[in-house]
Amino acid sequence: MSQTAMDYTTKELMAAFIAGEIKDGETVSVGASLPVCRAGILLAHLTHAPNLKVQMAFTMTNLLNVPVLESFEFITDWRAARWAEFFYNHDIGPDLYKRRRQAIFFIGGLQIDAYGNTNLIGIGSDFRRLKMRGPGGVGTASMGTNIGRYYLYVNNHNRQTLTEKLDWRSCFGFGEGGADARKRINLPGSGPRFCITPLCIFDFEETTKRMRIKSVHPGVTLEQVLDNTGFEPVVPERIAITPAPSAEQVTLLRHRIDVDGVLRRSQ
Amino acid sequence: MSDGKRREVIISEQEAASLLKDGMTISIGGFLNSSHPMPLVRAIIRNRLRNLTIVGAASAGLETDMLIGAGCVKTVIAPMISGESLAPIGPSFRYFAQRGEIDVIELDEHMYYQGLRAAAALMPSLPWRGGIGTDYAKLNPRLKEFDDPITGERLLAIPAIHIDVALIHAGAADPFGNVQHVGTGFGDRAHHRAADMTIVTVDKVIPNEEVRANPYRTSIAGADAVVRAPYGSHPFASPGHYLEDAAHIREYVAAATAQLKNGDRGPLEEYFNTYVFEPKTHAEYLTRIGFERILSLYEV
Repeated sequence: MSQTAMDYTTKELMAAFIAGEIKDGETVSVGASLPVCRAGILLAHLTHAPNLKVQMAFTMTNLLNVPVLESFEFITDWRAARWAEFFYNHDIGPDLYKRRRQAIFFIGGLQIDAYGNTNLIGIGSDFRRLKMRGPGGVGTASMGTNIGRYYLYVNNHNRQTLTEKLDWRSCFGFGEGGADARKRINLPGSGPRFCITPLCIFDFEETTKRMRIKSVHPGVTLEQVLDNTGFEPVVPERIAITPAPSAEQVTLLRHRIDVDGVLRRSQ
Repeated sequence: MSDGKRREVIISEQEAASLLKDGMTISIGGFLNSSHPMPLVRAIIRNRLRNLTIVGAASAGLETDMLIGAGCVKTVIAPMISGESLAPIGPSFRYFAQRGEIDVIELDEHMYYQGLRAAAALMPSLPWRGGIGTDYAKLNPRLKEFDDPITGERLLAIPAIHIDVALIHAGAADPFGNVQHVGTGFGDRAHHRAADMTIVTVDKVIPNEEVRANPYRTSIAGADAVVRAPYGSHPFASPGHYLEDAAHIREYVAAATAQLKNGDRGPLEEYFNTYVFEPKTHAEYLTRIGFERILSLYEV
């Protein structure tokens, strides 16, 4: 690993963290709406995961030898087909879970609770009169149930999103908690591994499966995290600092993965 | 009596539209900002069909949002309705759902495909595990939890989603209904298999010889009807043919958002008047969009 970068953004740091989570040979989906996750995946691919199975814009591909990985605004952008080795028909999704035991996925939420359960349905207790109708659960209930492991990802770390109680649970993380929360109801996947935010990384405490502060990003205080979190996370005695990206990682991000600088913009 | 000739299935957009009736369950293929059969979506709005059940794509786009905004929809089945960065949540979907004016059948993507597969296999339901431990069965009372008779595990029974007419947009088809998508075709095949009838709008009708030259590319064999519709997915993309018209989609989003934010239906009515009611045919619609705009939707 090369030297620590001197100059990087929070999003670049988050992307580098995600890259560190991805192992060679795994299967990952690159979406269009989560540029940080996309960048983290591709960074892993270009550094330590040359055999990554990349699902992108309804293709399967390997991008190792592509000099500049331009990003697409829409997941349906068929120009990605220039790299396609396989076209992915969306309706075969339910048949892929045996193969997705070595796959990872990212799940967001309008609300996320302390046990990693998520809500994409909407805000409000009356389903027919939601105060804010959400996009819908997309594939999260099934992916969260079955896929090898997944990561919770939020763009905005605030008390509304990270909340004690969900209005609706559209994806099961660890339910009401407990080490065997998933085993009790026979869910094959191992559930959320971390929750990645612009302020910190949460993991899940082993016995309760409640979110615990694993590390705060450089320059972020514990107080800041607690003030902006709507539930009480487990706070360990020593709080680690999320490692800064390496100079090599930042160079790769800026020159091959995020040439447009989406990760360098403030919002 | 057969005349001994193979029957061609190309019909006009008006003939296709006349097959769509109030109260039907109609699916719309494609995905998000790509591949929607827009001449028929606009015909549904123009003909003021009502009480439809719309089965959107696994990620439906703003075509489904338009049908909701125009008041055609009673029930919607789609795991998400979005224009991605152009409108993360369909604005008309939000407006009508928040007021309780449409029934939203809540399913996640793979519950949804299990429901379509159940219909295709003539099964009342198929089992699925995703959704156990969540509120899905509360949100959607059609889902039933049960104990698997083989292992005793708790599972969800997903009821069949039967479609009266599947509307799909593809790059090409021959006159006999052999459809060739460019690229994936998203979940369109699942709609076709769950439907009594499939109507496909195509950017191009190709000769049967071209299909036979590359039968591997045939994604749907035996569509019931084909409608010739160059630029038929506009304002959405059609793989291999043109990109989405983001500026036009933004025009719709702005109009529908005025209703959502201020209850002002004026801009949306104006959008529908300009692009749906006044142009009576697909050709008139394209004329209104303008040659220059259409030709600017190139791929690089």
